[in-house]
Amino acid sequence: MALKKIKERSMALDIDPDDILVRYNVRLEKEITPEEAAEELYPDDPLLKPIAQAVFVGDEEGVVAGLEKAISEGREPLKLIDEALIGGMNVVSKLYDEAVIYLPDVMLSSDAMQKGIEYCKSKATSDMKPKGTVICHVAEGDVHDIGKTIVVALLRANGYNVVDLGRDCPVEEVVEHVEKERPLMLTGTALMTTTMYAFKHINDKLKEKNLALPFVCGGGAVNQDFVSKLEFGVYGEEAPQAPRMAASILSGATVEKLREEFHKH
Amino acid sequence: MVKRFTTMAYDDPDEMTFGVAKEPVKAGLGLTIGDGFTTPEINYAPRPETASSKEKLVKEYKSITTDIMDRMVAVGFPGVVLETEHVQEMTNNPEWGAAVAHAQKEIMEKYHDEYGINCALRHTPGDIREDRDYLRLREDKYDTLLKSFELLAENGVDMLSIESMGGKEVFDHAILRDDVPGVLFSIGCLGAMDMEYIWKDIVNIAKKHNVVPAGDTDCAQANTAMFVAGGLLDKNLAHTLAIIARAIAASRTLVAWECGATGPNKDCGYEGTILKSIGGRPITQEGKTSTCAHSDVMGNLVMQCCDLWSNESVEYHGEFGGTSVQAWGETLAYDCTLMNVALKTGTEKTLRDLFMLSDKYRDPQGYVLAYPNAWKVGRAIVEDGDDLYLRAKNAALETCNILEEGVNEGLKLTRFETKALRDAKIALEGLPDDQDTFISESLDKYKKEVRVFEPKRNYDL
Repeated sequence: MALKKIKERSMALDIDPDDILVRYNVRLEKEITPEEAAEELYPDDPLLKPIAQAVFVGDEEGVVAGLEKAISEGREPLKLIDEALIGGMNVVSKLYDEAVIYLPDVMLSSDAMQKGIEYCKSKATSDMKPKGTVICHVAEGDVHDIGKTIVVALLRANGYNVVDLGRDCPVEEVVEHVEKERPLMLTGTALMTTTMYAFKHINDKLKEKNLALPFVCGGGAVNQDFVSKLEFGVYGEEAPQAPRMAASILSGATVEKLREEFHKH
Repeated sequence: MVKRFTTMAYDDPDEMTFGVAKEPVKAGLGLTIGDGFTTPEINYAPRPETASSKEKLVKEYKSITTDIMDRMVAVGFPGVVLETEHVQEMTNNPEWGAAVAHAQKEIMEKYHDEYGINCALRHTPGDIREDRDYLRLREDKYDTLLKSFELLAENGVDMLSIESMGGKEVFDHAILRDDVPGVLFSIGCLGAMDMEYIWKDIVNIAKKHNVVPAGDTDCAQANTAMFVAGGLLDKNLAHTLAIIARAIAASRTLVAWECGATGPNKDCGYEGTILKSIGGRPITQEGKTSTCAHSDVMGNLVMQCCDLWSNESVEYHGEFGGTSVQAWGETLAYDCTLMNVALKTGTEKTLRDLFMLSDKYRDPQGYVLAYPNAWKVGRAIVEDGDDLYLRAKNAALETCNILEEGVNEGLKLTRFETKALRDAKIALEGLPDDQDTFISESLDKYKKEVRVFEPKRNYDL
């Protein structure tokens, strides 16, 4: 109680901050709310719209309830993945790219979409075809995986099948999975400078085995100069670049083209 | 023994300045930290290829140490602290870290003897307590970690620190989902419990060897939030949530001091000003001079109450002006000179306020860490100082209140930041009033949601 009695003094000095700094995020914030922006992008179909809306707000139960209803009315489970779940996630990705919504919204939507995909798969009689497969891992010796987690979520949000090899992933294991899965892209993240050398070993082994593919490397310790020296290396500075890179690869981009497009420095 | 803080070291935030702590700390060769003087603390990383053998690492750190000491003497600076944050090979092989420490200290002693420069060596072993998928906070690697501390203390290290990471498995899940109760559970409860477990042992080792058990930082969690939040235009996390995580982290990082650590805490603990307001012990801070390691939205502000001033970390390599450690060390030391002149001329409060005001309104994080507000967060923590959960919750709620009031005083928030703040406050106000209920509910939730969360094994919960 004695603490309550302590008198708080006001500061001797204060300042009008507008004279010395600019909060550009406040200045540039868009007028439209996320909900208003999303409303314009949802599918019109009355069975699909509630599912896409539930994906947008990250409501896992709502997603499954919407899918149940649609399937009970004769919709194909695998088509619902494309039309409702990926459709809803496209709204999320577009608004994230336009800075209308933020990463936690994407994560929650991605969780809800995954739940929906699992449900649809359990109801389907055939296999779904993803846009393409990407393998993601954290460098051997490195356990810092939050960057990789973000990359995985953003790739899944954009309709890619992701094989997540987790953290501290041995070089051999990465190469084995590339050989087996033949993905369109491999990603590696590293926070510590000492661990990013695993990327060089992976690159060399991929070369040895003639497994050419874009190898996107990023993370706190990694820099463009280091990655550019790897034959397959493409430097990924920010997680949101990952789905854009995958899309470029689907459109035929080579390692060289990707470097031209994404290397900023 | 753990002695909780239930009162503030400073009755008035205006008493707090840089270079002066209520409880100065003597360390190393002639240095007293927080006794009316600020000192640079230079932090560095070896070139990656040198981590392949003990011999290469020792050679690298000898060069680093010699370069720094040379430059400090060449430009006439009276004191310096060197901090070696281990690359993991040095902690996984405790004798490697010890060999590096021994080599560094021999060089520092030579300069101290020859020139009289005051200096101290801090080592920060890596928190190696995990395997590929799971935290392993209390198993084999814990023994290796303690052996590392033991050998470092035997081989000339003056100050022991760590960036402990208890709670990180839940935190990484929660922060990416705007889950403020999860952040509170991971940092305020799990992180604090782990700190108590580890810091009792570190303090015992330090006492045995008569070295300084310095302190911790919530690098693994609050700094993750700060980095995910990024700059003004990043769209990964509301900065209002990043500062809530930081305020909770103060309640957690304080545990080292409650276990007997004496300060100075670790440089990247931006919660330092809050800690100092409570504990009165010296703190290390980093800001504008750590842009070699990361960008910063409060680069001047965090100098306001520092006792050691750090550059976070820079890779050892050549620059036009010498090696990187010389360039950044000299910059730090000139900053300290300016602060020391202010202290000698009685103008330190003016300089402190200039540092603070240059960033107070730049970002919600700086606004809350501005020393008068940081002091309020400290006061909220000690009001329930005996209860790890309640005090962390107090810190979070006080942060919400400070930000809400700040909007009326000139702090500008985006609508996104405002909404995140409002949602966070609602979530916090809806939490139970007692620790047992909160922990029980959180255990149920995160055992389901976080695959790698093993509460019994890592926290005995």
